[in-house]
Amino acid sequence: MIPNDIAHEFDQCIKCGLCQATCPVCKELLLEKYTPRGKVQLARYYLHGDLQLSDHMRDVYAKCLLCGACTVTCPSGVDPRKVFLRMREKITERRGLHPAIENAVSSVSAHRNISNEDNLERAEWTEALKDVPARFYEKDRAEVAYFVGCVASFFPMVQNIPQNVIRIMDRAKVDVAILGGEEWCCGFPLIGAGIPEKIGELVEHNLEKVKALGAKELVFSCPTCYCTWKEYYKTDLKLYHTTEFLEKMVARGDLRFKETGVTVTYHDPCDLGRNSGVFDAPRRILKAIPGLKLVELENSRTKSVCCGGGGNVEMADPNLSAAVAQKKLEEIQLTGAKMVVTSCQQCVRTIKGRARKQRLDLEVLDITELVLRAMKGNS
Amino acid sequence: MISESVREELRMIVGEAWFLDSPEDLATYSYDGFLPEFKPDGVIVPATAEEISQVMRLANREKIPITPRGAGTNICGGSVAKEGGLIMAFHRMNKILEVDAENRCAVVQPGVVNADLQKAASKQGLLYPPDPASMFVSTIGGNVALNAGGPRGVKYGTTRDYLLGLEVVLPTGEVIRTGGKTLKNVTGYDLTRLLCGSEGTLGIITEITLRLVPMPPAKATLQAMFSNLDDAARTVSAIIGSGIVPTTLELIDKVILDVIGSYGGAHFRKDAQALLLIEVDGEPSLVQAQGERIETFCKERGATEVERASTAEEADKLWQARRSAFGAVAGLRPNCIVEDATVPVKRLPEIIRKIVELAEKYRLKIGVLAHAGDGNLHPLIMTDLRDKEEMGRIDKALEEMYEAAIAMGGTLSGEHGIGIAKKRFLGMEFDQKALEIMRGIKKVFDPNNVLNPGSFL
Repeated sequence: MIPNDIAHEFDQCIKCGLCQATCPVCKELLLEKYTPRGKVQLARYYLHGDLQLSDHMRDVYAKCLLCGACTVTCPSGVDPRKVFLRMREKITERRGLHPAIENAVSSVSAHRNISNEDNLERAEWTEALKDVPARFYEKDRAEVAYFVGCVASFFPMVQNIPQNVIRIMDRAKVDVAILGGEEWCCGFPLIGAGIPEKIGELVEHNLEKVKALGAKELVFSCPTCYCTWKEYYKTDLKLYHTTEFLEKMVARGDLRFKETGVTVTYHDPCDLGRNSGVFDAPRRILKAIPGLKLVELENSRTKSVCCGGGGNVEMADPNLSAAVAQKKLEEIQLTGAKMVVTSCQQCVRTIKGRARKQRLDLEVLDITELVLRAMKGNS
Repeated sequence: MISESVREELRMIVGEAWFLDSPEDLATYSYDGFLPEFKPDGVIVPATAEEISQVMRLANREKIPITPRGAGTNICGGSVAKEGGLIMAFHRMNKILEVDAENRCAVVQPGVVNADLQKAASKQGLLYPPDPASMFVSTIGGNVALNAGGPRGVKYGTTRDYLLGLEVVLPTGEVIRTGGKTLKNVTGYDLTRLLCGSEGTLGIITEITLRLVPMPPAKATLQAMFSNLDDAARTVSAIIGSGIVPTTLELIDKVILDVIGSYGGAHFRKDAQALLLIEVDGEPSLVQAQGERIETFCKERGATEVERASTAEEADKLWQARRSAFGAVAGLRPNCIVEDATVPVKRLPEIIRKIVELAEKYRLKIGVLAHAGDGNLHPLIMTDLRDKEEMGRIDKALEEMYEAAIAMGGTLSGEHGIGIAKKRFLGMEFDQKALEIMRGIKKVFDPNNVLNPGSFL
């Protein structure tokens, strides 16, 4: 049966249905079972013994981006996201993993990354940093550790993000290290797949390796790794998302920008904004770039709409993920900006992928890329 | 129960994917925003009036109840399958067919969300005034079926005041059209307005023509705090009596102000007994002058604090208390019953006093939100449905409240509908003959009683 921690959530749900207003999934799939209210009620029926954990149920709960829009919309304080994660656990326990997620999960257990790659190749992206010897950043000791994350490590489309992070830190003379092949998946894909009990080993390993560096600060460019560490890792380390770390550097005067006359819009990644509360850091960085004009999206900050890349949906239902990304693109285009900046490798992948398919004249950048371009001394 | 061969016929009409009868689908169409739940035998999601017509002919032949459902946000049990049968959902009929700026009207399908129409209209400098609290979710079809209102009702009225024409599939399957794009129309009985507020008992609305108005260029927003409820009520009467027609005139009582305060929302003065939120709209110079006059009215009648917003952000801040009210109250106890008794505006202080008295008499926690400008109250009863003894007390309190409201010349429901929520009180407001006429009308439209049976009649 479902533990009390989420039974409380059903009791609070008054079935008003207002969560439908902001859920990007139910706007595409229409039927009530795909609304946050529907999914909360399905959980309640299950709890009361009126419904079984069927494959149908597994499919319904797999169609959730875990974007948290419903959580901030609910007038009576229900956290549907919490309910959905718990239901994924119960369903996986009873029916096994969603077939589309199996690959990623077995890759994490075999290789410690989601990409089915040899984990020793995690730092291959550093080869593009030509001015330093191989494995230079895999240090024994450092003041700052940088947790790269699986997606930015292995997907060529976004490997420029860790490269940018390192280049910026080098220019500001930050003593930074990466874990290379000793960085393991943060565990989120397993949490999203409904097996949070399997992340213990990953957590312990990552904590131990970062600790061995003697670092006091840990930086993430992936908002989801950042969120997962904050929620599931017990540590005294100071955790920063790159936007928070860069903002500090900007405030200290360690980063200085040249005139960059460009109009951009900014997409708040769900796990950075709504789910971690970081809204101002990226905007302060953008505002520090002279000549840059920021045009906000119609739905920004807590109201930001998911890019379609969250919640393992890209694996479970690629068409749904693409349809949500399409809506995001349309919202971006309404701003008139020819450049969209975000702070997440997954958002970059999803939005860029969709924009390419549409052959749109739109540049999709991680904020580190824009920062690097705008830094004084770069041509 | 519906036989397999009938299910097959239904699938033939709408397509395999749009007839649903899995346990998961039946469960998620068994509720709306009200409390009791009824599991339907199936869910049908048609795309056209023609498909609906075929479904209705079949429903008549087989005597299968059909209950139309928009976004399922109503709080009177209007869209649950009280006698089983099929829920008909309008997810696929969600197109804005036309915003006709020259004729100042719009033609929409029933599944269009209220806020989407507002947005489309505003792009052409037009406003669709009805703004129920559910507007970001609720559909125009549902708004018409329940004659939805909202805070702007004081000045602009309710859905019925914007309804020009309908296309309707009758319970027996025929398709009729009523009204059209003309503002004036006195031809025959006004079936358009009869269907509005009929709670899905007379016909299935498949197309709606709505009147739009020019978007007012300016708006003033004020918030006034009172240490005495009667002062607040006298201020409401003074504003209404002065010839100013506010867009919105909302009242929040002490019980709710306290809940909002402890919920971590805005903090109010300790002596606050009532808050008024007032808005006027129109030409900038007029709005400015009216804003000043209202501020004076408030101060002259004992307001302890008056704030007037000068920017959109400030106005938004003033709305914060009103917007967070429901959530704050809903979070306090497991359930919150939202009532809807409405009285002539002058009787407002009396009915509020009556509610305070009933809360005390029956040991209940009741807060009052009111669209004070039109006498439409929303007493919020904070409770726990599992507590049978307390529910018994609530029942008695409600009965007394409605008796009082009707004795003051008021009504059971200002904007939420009767459904199954207030069916048992209907006899208080109508005499036998009036109810007979309504039943007769129902019979003419729906001889076999297949459309939303078990509803208020």
